[in-house]
Amino acid sequence: METVRLLLVDDEEDFRTTLASRLKKRGIDVTDVGSGNEAIELTREESFDVAVLDIKMPGMDGIETLRQLKKIAPLVEVILLTGHGSVEAGIEGMRLGAYDYLMKPYNVKDLLLKVEDAYRRKLLEEGQQRA
Amino acid sequence: MFPFLKKIFFRGDPPRRQRFVFNVEELRSTFKARYHSFKLLLNANNKALEIMADIEQFLPGEHPFGMSFIRASCTALSVNVFRIIQNLNELAPDKYRELYSRFRDIEGSINQILSRRRLPKGDRLVISLREINGEMADETGNKMAGLGEVKNRLQISTPEGFVITALAYQRFFTHNDLQTEIDRLLQSSSAEQIDHLYALSAGIQQLIIRSDIPSDLEQAIMEAYRDLERQVGGGITVSLRSSALAEDSAGTSFAGQYRSELNVSAENIMQAYREVVASKYSLPAMAYRLNKGIRDEDIDMCVGCMVMVDALAGGVIYSRNPLDMRDGSIFINSVWGLPKSVVDGSGASDLFVVSRDNMDVIKKEIGNKEYKFVCYPEEGVCRLDMAGEKASSPSLTDDQAQELARIAMKIEEYYGFPQDIEWGISHDDSIYILQSRPLKQFDTGEKDFEGAKEPLNGGSVIIAGGITASAGVACGPVFIVKRDMDTLQFPEGAVLVTPSPLPRWAALLSRAQAVVTEEGSFAGHLATVAREFNVPALFGIPGATDKLRNGDLITVDAEERKIYKGRVEALLVQSAHRKRFMEGSPVYGILKEVSRYIVPLNLLDPDAHDFKPQKCLTLHDITRFSHEKAVWEMFSFGKEHHFSERASKQLLTDVPMQFWVIDLDDGFREEAKGKHVKLENISSIPMLALWEGMTAIPWRGPPPVNAKGFLSVLHEATTNPALDPSTRSSYAIRNYFMISKNFCSLHSRFGFHFSIVEALVSERAIENYISFQFKGGAADYQRKVRRAFFVGRILEEFGFRIEVKEDALFSRVEGVEEGFMKERLRIIGYLIIHTRQLDMIMLDDASISSQKEKIMNDLYSIIKDSRG
Repeated sequence: METVRLLLVDDEEDFRTTLASRLKKRGIDVTDVGSGNEAIELTREESFDVAVLDIKMPGMDGIETLRQLKKIAPLVEVILLTGHGSVEAGIEGMRLGAYDYLMKPYNVKDLLLKVEDAYRRKLLEEGQQRA
Repeated sequence: MFPFLKKIFFRGDPPRRQRFVFNVEELRSTFKARYHSFKLLLNANNKALEIMADIEQFLPGEHPFGMSFIRASCTALSVNVFRIIQNLNELAPDKYRELYSRFRDIEGSINQILSRRRLPKGDRLVISLREINGEMADETGNKMAGLGEVKNRLQISTPEGFVITALAYQRFFTHNDLQTEIDRLLQSSSAEQIDHLYALSAGIQQLIIRSDIPSDLEQAIMEAYRDLERQVGGGITVSLRSSALAEDSAGTSFAGQYRSELNVSAENIMQAYREVVASKYSLPAMAYRLNKGIRDEDIDMCVGCMVMVDALAGGVIYSRNPLDMRDGSIFINSVWGLPKSVVDGSGASDLFVVSRDNMDVIKKEIGNKEYKFVCYPEEGVCRLDMAGEKASSPSLTDDQAQELARIAMKIEEYYGFPQDIEWGISHDDSIYILQSRPLKQFDTGEKDFEGAKEPLNGGSVIIAGGITASAGVACGPVFIVKRDMDTLQFPEGAVLVTPSPLPRWAALLSRAQAVVTEEGSFAGHLATVAREFNVPALFGIPGATDKLRNGDLITVDAEERKIYKGRVEALLVQSAHRKRFMEGSPVYGILKEVSRYIVPLNLLDPDAHDFKPQKCLTLHDITRFSHEKAVWEMFSFGKEHHFSERASKQLLTDVPMQFWVIDLDDGFREEAKGKHVKLENISSIPMLALWEGMTAIPWRGPPPVNAKGFLSVLHEATTNPALDPSTRSSYAIRNYFMISKNFCSLHSRFGFHFSIVEALVSERAIENYISFQFKGGAADYQRKVRRAFFVGRILEEFGFRIEVKEDALFSRVEGVEEGFMKERLRIIGYLIIHTRQLDMIMLDDASISSQKEKIMNDLYSIIKDSRG
């Protein structure tokens, strides 16, 4: 499999940089930013396969970021992270086209599996579009 | 056809379907995409079933859980069921859209239960104690409402003061958006582990203590304080005490788990307020709520602010004997100075027992009170050592004891319930009531407090004596706790042995079998909580932490006040079982309510007329329905598209049974030409394991049947139309495997027996699962049900979770590594072949047990072979 280009968006810097470095160790090409706005800016310039978004962020939250991101790059598969279980937010995210939803605390292994599956789906979707 | 009709009919179909393409490459890519959706559906299906099983595990109410568990489970479950629906509609474009609306309804009901909130009553941020009565508990908390009642209705002297209300608490929390942040912290930590709970408790309390108090609230508090100064003359200090909603209501005492701030000066009131509010998240309080099933958001922390009484003496009155229902005597524990050391349960105190009948002091135990707590002139309290005569002289006169007893009786009479009353006597000899709450009496039966009976149970007594703080017998290894650090290692099921019964050890009670302490009385907080949780507690064993060693197995008989070496079975048998403490709690009620929309399975039979989206009433129904349909859609794809290359191939074997195989992705080693596929060409790990089990031992034919069993089969076969193969859809008749390298599903039908196996086995252990369903049979209903149980019991012995509904057996095992899963598949393979028609003998006990023996022998030999 080619290198996955992953965009990680979370306002908690410690959490974000730790996770980014762990994902990099597993051979994933990670770019990390601290806000929804930065994420949107970046998506206009670069292309990503998978985005991992924290739902609760000050300013533009994860759900809004997802909404805008999907407009710019519909094929990016988005995995939402949340610390606070909310049925409503979870389903809203899915309706907006999130690939999956991961509840904190989770282990990096679980996240990696989801990233892998999300990436596979993206390749398939791209394949279909070309066909 | 009318053009607009045409539009409607074809709108949902993707272009690739309309073109009837036979381009193999394109079909292959479509097929792969479908298989991906199918796999995701299975994944979500598996996850959903796992979460439902989790929820079911908590439904008996034997283990503690909190709202964050319920929320996290419901969220994860909803997301997964939603994904199931999405993927099903991708497999069969828009064919099952109806499921979305069923899902919305169910999800809406669940959401409504979860987001139900109690709104704070009243419109005042502070209320003077003079205006408070018992009906205002929703605004002021139980403790302050009770005190208001004592002051204003009973006209018994209490300090002047005011309460900072529930509304104020809500203002404070909303202002800082604290609840959201707290919920997030709660969610992200595993509250079941004590060390995590420590960090969590500290983190949340810090968060609260650092938060801003909105200026209107600060103003209201300071105004109330100045009013208080005017009422009683200047130069006062105050105490701030928790008065949480639900605190001190009967059954949930929260004894000593919140903070009180004593002798606070004007400039520190705000900080003290924050600290008392923060103590809602003290470790014991959090553990207590978790174990009692109380919702975090239901507890508004009201705070009572009262003029500080610099007591000469103080203590606690029990208006009846807390350990003996038949004893109406009034028990007064008393110390010099502030009542703090009685309340904390540390240090020695005096005990006065006053007769209810004639007000005589019938018993006096004067303790050696080595220290007392007093107020500093400016602010704060300090502990003073006491020496000489004063330490061992009575802290009360008999007259004072009698006066206290009269007050206690008056309050008890008013409430019609025994009371636990904290009091102080000021330097001018006035008695002040500081709080009064219901006292829960525990019946330990007739006890001779002095004598000790001879051991008649064969145990050897290591220690005898002490005070029964909470009755009962329990056994476990000793674990000594002296510092907070020690609690981190406290093992589940140990006996807590500690010098002093500090309230903060209450957090350990849900894990402790019993408690033994060197000091303390039955009046302390820890004793109260131990009684509430039915944890036996024996207090006042000098040197217990030296005499007992970590890891020693002991049996504590708190009633007889003895500690035995090892496990004394005779004693344990007599002792009562622990209660299901979650039952009846608010959190438990919520789980029960939401589970009604989650767990019940109404769609049992895929062939039934009612098996359709409209009939899905629960998330389980949707899951089941979608799974069935997904399998069907996957199967029909090959046919619909005349997709000969991928359509089913007959398996070439030497077994006299016919099987068809559909390769979903990478289940064949090489492309299979023609109509057949050889076993050697199969690369599917789960299919191969299953096949090994199916063919390991030749089937001996149906077991010998007695005449009745045979008649039962005949009868059923001639009257049940569903058993007539010609009424089935064609795919249901065949035995077919759908496979990929790591996936296998087998639908098989032998005569009247229908079974479905589905398995995902790979290196990703967390995704691995096997599910096995077994249904039907030709015998009558009773025999079929028995067989379902028979097979279920066997599977249980091999680690499957089983469920029998009517005559259908559902069984699952998941999350284990590859080798284990392959073994389990062999077992299932064997069972599919060998248990058919067992239902005929199912009313014959002798043949049941001989069959079971044979089956178990076979199974162990199959497992052994594979390990060989």
